[in-house]
Amino acid sequence: MQPRGSTVLPFLVIGLCAPSLRAQTVDDGLLMPHGAVATGFLYAHESWSRYWEGTLKRDNGNIGTLTTQTVTWVAGYGVTDRLSVIAMVPYVRTHATQGPLHGMHGLQDVTLAAKYQLLSTPLTDRGTLHAMVVAVAGIPASNYEPDFLPLSIGLASRRFSGRFTLNFQAHQGWFVTGSTAYTWRTKVTLDRPAYYTNGQLYLSDEVAMPNVVDYMVSAGYQRGRLCVPISLSQQRTLGGGDIRRQDMPFVSNRMNFVQVGALVMYRGIRLGASRIVSGRNVGQATTLRGGLFYTFPL
Amino acid sequence: MRPLFPSVLILAIAACDNTITPSEALPPLQAASLDSAAGGWRMIVLSGPTQFTVAAPAAETSAAYAAELAAIKSAQAHLTAAQRSSIAYWSGGGVLRWNEIARELVARFNLPPAPRPDGTYPVPDPENPFADPQFPFANPPYAARAYSYVSVAQFEALKAAWYWKYQYNRRSPALVDHGIAALMPVSDLPAYPSEDAVLSGVTVEMLKVLFPAGVAEITQRAADERNAALWSGKAAASDIAAGLALGKAVATALIARAGPDGMRNAVGNATQWKALADSAVARGEIPWISQESPPRPPMLPNFGQVQAWLMTPAEVVSERPPAPPSTSSDRMTQELAEVRQTVEHLTREQLAVAYKWNDGAGTYTPPGHWNDIAAEYIRDARMSEVRAARAFALLNMAMHDAAVGCWGVKYLYFNPRPVQLDPSIKTVIGLPNFPAYPSGHSTFSAAAATVLSYLFPQAAPDFDTMKEEASISRLYGGIHYRSDIERGKEHGARIGLYAVGFAQQDGAN
Repeated sequence: MQPRGSTVLPFLVIGLCAPSLRAQTVDDGLLMPHGAVATGFLYAHESWSRYWEGTLKRDNGNIGTLTTQTVTWVAGYGVTDRLSVIAMVPYVRTHATQGPLHGMHGLQDVTLAAKYQLLSTPLTDRGTLHAMVVAVAGIPASNYEPDFLPLSIGLASRRFSGRFTLNFQAHQGWFVTGSTAYTWRTKVTLDRPAYYTNGQLYLSDEVAMPNVVDYMVSAGYQRGRLCVPISLSQQRTLGGGDIRRQDMPFVSNRMNFVQVGALVMYRGIRLGASRIVSGRNVGQATTLRGGLFYTFPL
Repeated sequence: MRPLFPSVLILAIAACDNTITPSEALPPLQAASLDSAAGGWRMIVLSGPTQFTVAAPAAETSAAYAAELAAIKSAQAHLTAAQRSSIAYWSGGGVLRWNEIARELVARFNLPPAPRPDGTYPVPDPENPFADPQFPFANPPYAARAYSYVSVAQFEALKAAWYWKYQYNRRSPALVDHGIAALMPVSDLPAYPSEDAVLSGVTVEMLKVLFPAGVAEITQRAADERNAALWSGKAAASDIAAGLALGKAVATALIARAGPDGMRNAVGNATQWKALADSAVARGEIPWISQESPPRPPMLPNFGQVQAWLMTPAEVVSERPPAPPSTSSDRMTQELAEVRQTVEHLTREQLAVAYKWNDGAGTYTPPGHWNDIAAEYIRDARMSEVRAARAFALLNMAMHDAAVGCWGVKYLYFNPRPVQLDPSIKTVIGLPNFPAYPSGHSTFSAAAATVLSYLFPQAAPDFDTMKEEASISRLYGGIHYRSDIERGKEHGARIGLYAVGFAQQDGAN
């Protein structure tokens, strides 16, 4: 129901500019210098009161407004000048304002990423072109329950993504970044012996999870240690069923969305907001984010 | 980078194997016994096996039959992969396959109507089953009744088929003509009328009434089953035609029973719903109130008046449990506190139990779950089709009667859910929209475990464990008091004994 299928995406709009922030994202165009270490916390407050039941937009008096709060610990390290590694561990808490359903909380999925710079070359006399590949692995960090959407804190699938990012940084401070990733997802094991989805009863506790692609473009301006990017991103799930009329969402639903976002960063501080503008089997979430980061002196 | 490689590799490999087989893998059915006396087993709805006559078949030496054999050889010479796959699917046993299909239909149709913009709810209309809301809303009582009608109809039809089979003793084509391959296990069970065709005919007619919007798929599946019997060399065209006619005829008798059995009045009306609340208030109790938003009318308040299979209306009343603790009693206060304590201190194992047995909206329901369980034991016992149908009929008659009994008590007392008495309680599963006392899960499960323990005595401890787990899962979920569960189990066990009593005397032992 929620765009939690990819924990990569909430970080899409983060950290395109300042060197102290470079390490925390997996899809920007930048790297940490050799030996650099950075760490910090991100807080996200995501809420929605309307959602897409399949393609039908509706509200639900038994949910009211669904809020998901996430605190993520992030750390990065510059292995070499061309290779950075990143780790993220989110703690998630959900709550519905109406109806009897219990919120859930716990450690969600540990994400590990390795980012490698393929290319960094001057392009004309106006700026520099960067090309990156990123390998991302996501593994549930706790035995949380994925079968209680939209209150579940995650989808409990192990994930592996291959990402390609292209970034152009103009000397005057403008930049533009494009990024796309393909995410493979492993089967999820439920606590029940059968389930119905996508027009079929499955006599199994295992659920095949469709793979996911995402695309993102962002653009922004940097002056000194202030940076303001905006972004447009899209997630497409390559299969899965729709939520049926008046049914609960299901872990392998086709969760698609288009999201716009904006961010303001200054030194180690960041504030951002994003909004889902269209979707399928997801909530129309508005997300507010804040983060504090510290880079250890070399 | 290096430490990342192993996990990346494992993930990449695991991601490649991402397919789930939806249906059960059933070995080709080689029945442990032919059950040649099944034509004499006691009937439930039919007056006897000869209520519908099956005319004598043409002789094995006739020209007409020779042409049928030639047609099978011709078909076997050009079987496609899809046809072979269909033969393999149906060779697992028609009763088991139709039980799976019935569970799928229940899961498909087990969704409550969505509210209208004005906050009211439409009622599913059997005259307009394809509309929104779709018909039926296959909730647990509806599902229990549906499973029971399908199972009983199959059981009656197969007993009649067995009677006629041994009247005429015509062999399977693969045994008559060695030029015909047996692509399914072919036994000495007489082929006329074909049991596969009987099953397809009786089941398709029952399912069309119970799930009219599924007609296209149901009809296709029935045709597939008959074709599989033909292509496999198990039955000739005349075996199949006679079986199909007998199956459809038996279905008419069951449909005639279903029409006036009380289901059509089970939804009730606004006047009746209000009277239920007024009655509770008059007794000094807090009446049940829907916790849904907008408030939804209670689920099938008059299902307790639906005709039971094995209990008279007087027995339905006399087996009822006593009244629940008063909503103003200390006992209720204590039980409410237990629900709150339990749900706020759930272990992961308890949460898993709550989800394992949730069987809520969009699933095959608790009766479907017990059919799922029973199917494994029936498969492993290699029961003949008629004996498998008996097992499902006994199980599903007991669960239908459990639904009738339980729903009667629920609406007699109209007892509120824990969430209503203490809004600080939050549930980890969906809250059912009907009164709490007694627990439907507990009643269904105890009735089912009682019947299955009779049929499979060596596994009785397993059924008892499952029954206990299914019952307590409702406390873990935060939706039932302990009294609901304990009295529900006792009630269900008493109801299950009626099916055991029938089974002890039906001639099948």
